[in-house]
Amino acid sequence: MLLAFVAVFLVTFLAAPLLGAGWYWDAGNALGYAAGAGLLYLTAFGRGTADLRVHHRLGQYVLVVTLLHAFWFLLGDATVTVHLRSAAPAGLWLGVAGLLLQGALVTGALLPRRWRLSREHPAFRRWHRALALGAIVTAGWHVLDSGFYLPQPYQMLLLAAVAALAGWGRDWQRHWPGHVWPGPRGFPVIVALVVLLFVAVRNWPA
Amino acid sequence: MRNAFLALLALGVLVVLSGSPLTGPRPVRDRYFAAPEPILPMIFDHNDHGDVNCIECHHDFADDSGSGMCMGCHVSDPDLWPRLEQQFHGLCLGCHAEREAAGRSAGPPRACDGCHHGGGPATP
Repeated sequence: MLLAFVAVFLVTFLAAPLLGAGWYWDAGNALGYAAGAGLLYLTAFGRGTADLRVHHRLGQYVLVVTLLHAFWFLLGDATVTVHLRSAAPAGLWLGVAGLLLQGALVTGALLPRRWRLSREHPAFRRWHRALALGAIVTAGWHVLDSGFYLPQPYQMLLLAAVAALAGWGRDWQRHWPGHVWPGPRGFPVIVALVVLLFVAVRNWPA
Repeated sequence: MRNAFLALLALGVLVVLSGSPLTGPRPVRDRYFAAPEPILPMIFDHNDHGDVNCIECHHDFADDSGSGMCMGCHVSDPDLWPRLEQQFHGLCLGCHAEREAAGRSAGPPRACDGCHHGGGPATP
């Protein structure tokens, strides 16, 4: 988990690490990057996971962080709501699409009898994985389209590579069986710490 | 957890429909500067930009491409109008972000309502 967070956040700090957008926007964007890191982690280590309940709970936590990221801006910037009611840029709609896909991903997996949707378990896994990859692509595109913390093209390439490794790479759970799950209680702590660090570094008085 | 999801979703829909109680008035899209389509108001104060070389923005001082207010050409010229948002975001946000990254004082580099205020006049 920590590796996913370090990889995602490190890429944002490779160029212009002091570039900030004010604490409010930096905090909201840090929540978005944290949600992205959580989604990549769950996708990379979701296959053949040892404890399905932890995977379920973390999925819900990541969705809550994604919702917080979206509503953070709706609550704090009046123009964002105007954008969503009229002609929002494509990048914003990609973010909304990623949020909806992630919502479908989580709520679909938590339905009491998910086998009603797909009669056999392998079929469930296929569409669950397809939804996860769809969420990664749309959310990733949303991040690259925004690009505020990624002023250099190599940063965008690195972030895309991290996402590709998590989404389409090997079965990390099988090749890294000894890794430690943060647990549902560890995830909010990690998110809070990275958001604070992100905001502090980018808003440190010159 | 299910209740938390529902509460967050309801909150989001409510905010989009009615506006946030934490912000000022929402900007209103209108045909400012006789724009062909409604656009957001843009706030610009020359007094805040005293340390920027005039020609950084007023390219027409050097290339004789026009005169008067920025929007005189940028909303009426059919070649420029489609790129209005892209050009002004590039110019304004690009400069603000560049200065911010260099540790210099800068205007709002990202927040939408930093420039698109609600309830204020459109000035450029």
